[in-house]
Amino acid sequence: MRISDYIEQSFSNLFKRKLRTFLTTFGVVIGIGALVSMFSFGKGVQKNVTDSFKKMGLFNYIAVFPASGRDRDEHSHTDPDEQYDQTQNEQVPDSPNSPILDDDFLQEVRKIEGVESAFPEIRFPALIKFREKEQFSIVQVMSADVCQSEIMKLRAGKAYASDAENSLIISDSLLHRMDVKETETVIGEEIEVSTLAIDSALLNPANIMSIMQGEKLPFSQESYGFTIVGVAERMGTGGFIPVRSDVYIPPGPAEGMKKISLTNIRDFFQPAEKLKGYSAVTIKVASIKYIDPVKEQMEAKGLKTFALIDQLKEIKTAFLFMDMFLAAVAMIGITVASLGIINTMVMSILERYREIGIMKAIGASDKDVKKIFFFESGMIGFLGGVFGLSLGWVVSMLINQIANHFLAKQGVPYVNYFSFPLWLCLGAIAFSIFISLAAGLYPALRAARVDPVVALRHD
Amino acid sequence: MNSDGFVETEGLTKVYSSGKIHVNALKDVNLSLEEGKFLGVTGPSGSGKSTLMNLLGGLDRPSSGSIKVQGKFISELNKEDLALYRRYQVGMIFQTFNIISSYTALDNVAFPLLFAGVPKKERNRRAEEMLTKVGLINRKDHRPAELSSGEQQRVAIARALINQPKILLADEPTGNLDSDTSRQIVKTLAELNKNQGLTVIMISHEHSLLAEFADDIIRLCDGEIVQEEKIR
Repeated sequence: MRISDYIEQSFSNLFKRKLRTFLTTFGVVIGIGALVSMFSFGKGVQKNVTDSFKKMGLFNYIAVFPASGRDRDEHSHTDPDEQYDQTQNEQVPDSPNSPILDDDFLQEVRKIEGVESAFPEIRFPALIKFREKEQFSIVQVMSADVCQSEIMKLRAGKAYASDAENSLIISDSLLHRMDVKETETVIGEEIEVSTLAIDSALLNPANIMSIMQGEKLPFSQESYGFTIVGVAERMGTGGFIPVRSDVYIPPGPAEGMKKISLTNIRDFFQPAEKLKGYSAVTIKVASIKYIDPVKEQMEAKGLKTFALIDQLKEIKTAFLFMDMFLAAVAMIGITVASLGIINTMVMSILERYREIGIMKAIGASDKDVKKIFFFESGMIGFLGGVFGLSLGWVVSMLINQIANHFLAKQGVPYVNYFSFPLWLCLGAIAFSIFISLAAGLYPALRAARVDPVVALRHD
Repeated sequence: MNSDGFVETEGLTKVYSSGKIHVNALKDVNLSLEEGKFLGVTGPSGSGKSTLMNLLGGLDRPSSGSIKVQGKFISELNKEDLALYRRYQVGMIFQTFNIISSYTALDNVAFPLLFAGVPKKERNRRAEEMLTKVGLINRKDHRPAELSSGEQQRVAIARALINQPKILLADEPTGNLDSDTSRQIVKTLAELNKNQGLTVIMISHEHSLLAEFADDIIRLCDGEIVQEEKIR
C-alpha cells in the first residue's frame, strides 16, 4: 500500500464515524491544549525573567565586597545589638590582605581583560524636595557612562552627559509617590536634594530608626540644587541589581556633598576614620565569558564577589521544577486521552471485524492491516495535536489578555506571560502523534491478529 | 486424479481443536485438478467443504498434508507470502458476498488493488473495466444496499478477478440467491472458465447446477472424498 492510500483510508474511515472521531480527538485536543498552555506559560515566565535580565545586561555585572563584612552577613544570624558589639570590638574592619576599594583599586580593575567599566556603589539617604512635596529616598552616585548604557531604562529625557553636570535622574515611582502623574513634564525642572551628615557622637540605633521612618532629622542638613534631565524606570528592589535607587546623581557634584553611605548598614556604626574606600564596587564585563576569570581574580585578592549569573543556575532549577509540575498536570489529560484512543480503536476493530477478514481474504497482509489501524490512531493524534495547539494558543492569549487587563490597573506594564517557540508548536504535534501511535499499538496488533476464517463467518 | 495437476493436495488434513474436543474437519484429502477445469464440490453441511476452500484460498493452514498450486507448496508459505498468494493467485467469492457495505461498487472492486500498491487512477480504471465485464458499469456508484443480491455477487466476482488470478474459489456463491439468479451467476463463472481459462472450484448444494456446468464433481462427507464424478 502507498502512504497516500494509508492517509486517505484512515481519513475516510475516521470520517465515517464522525461523532466518535470528534469525541476521541477532542480528548486529545484538551490534553494537548493543556500541555501546550502549561508549557508556554512556564517558558513565557522563564523567557520574561531571563530576557529582561539579559536586556539590561545584568548578567555582565559582578559585585565586589570586602571579604570580612560579607562573611558576617552570610554566616551570622545574631541579633543586631550583638552584631553591633562585635563590630565595635573589631580592630580592623577588612581582612588585612584584602585591598581597599578605592579609586586606585578601580583603576586597576579597569585594566583587567574583559572589564568594560568599574564603578563604586555609593548610596546615601536624602530628602528630596520637589514641587512643594518631600520624600525620603536613596540617592545613588552613578557615572555618566553607566547612566548612558542599556542598564538605565529611561522613560523620559536622557542621561546626564558628563560626570561633572549638576543634573540628576529620578525614578518614575518616586515621582508617583510625589503625586506627579505626567512624568515627562518634570524634565528641566529644579529639584532639591538634602543630605544628612551624621555626627558620630549622636549615633545609636534608635535614632537611625527614626531617620529611616522620616520622623525627624536630628542631624545637620545640607541642601543641594539639581536639574532633572531624565526619568528612569524603577527596577526591582530585591536581590542584586546594580541600578536600584530612585535618584541618580553624577560623581562630580556628589564629591562635594556631605553624606553617609548606605550600602552597608554597619557603616553607620563605624567611626568615620575607619571608613576607608567604598563599601562595594560593581564591575561590568564585556561578555558573560569574562565573569568567571574576573571573579577568580577578585577572589584571589581576598574579596567577596557576587554575580547574578550564579543565581541564574538556581533560577533555572526552579523553573525546571515548575515545568515538571506543569507537565505532570498536563500528562493526566494526555493519559486520559490516550485511553480514549485505545477504547475507540478497540471498538472500531470489533465493528470492522468482518471488514478485516475481507481485507485479508483479498490479499491484505498482517502488516497492511496493522498499518491501516496505526495510521488511524496517528491521524487522531495529528488532528488532536493541531487543534490542541490552537486551543492552547487561544486559551493562553485569553488568559494573557485578562491577566494584563487587571494588572494594568495596578500600573504593571504589559507582559506576555506565554511563549510559543517553534519547537513547542512542532513538539506538541509530534508528541500528540507519538502518544496516539503508542495508544494505537495494541489495537493495531489486535487487528492484525484477526483470523480471517472466523471473521468471514462473523455477523 | 493423481497426475501432476495445477492444484494438488496430498493427505490434506485439518483438525479443529477446542479444549479437549478435536474435530476432524478434513481427513486425508487427495485432490488433483488440471488448469482451466471447473470443479464442483458438494456434500452435506459440516462435511468440510468450506474448510477445503479456506485451505485452498490460503486463509487457513492445514494440520497436516500439503497443498501445491502451480507447482508451489502454498502450505509452506510464510504469512507475508501467503498474503501475496491470496492477492494475486486466487480470487474468492462467498455465500454472503462479503463486500463492504460502506463502499460503492467501484470501491469494492478496486479494493484489492489498494494492497497491491496500484495508484488510485489506475485502480479506478481497472475496476470500471471489471464492472463492465460483469455488466454493472451503470451501477458503479451504488452501495451494496442499493444493489440486488445477484448484483452484489457480481460485484464480488469482479473484485475476486481484479488482480487476474488463475483460480477462482466460490464458496456456495448461490446459497443466498433465487434459482434464476443462481443459474446466471454460475453461468457467468462457467463462461469465465471457458473463455478465459480460469480454473474454478465451486461449492454448491445444488447438484443439478454443478452437473450442468462443472467438468468434475467431488462429494465430501465427514471430511473425506466419498465420490468422484466426471461429467465431461
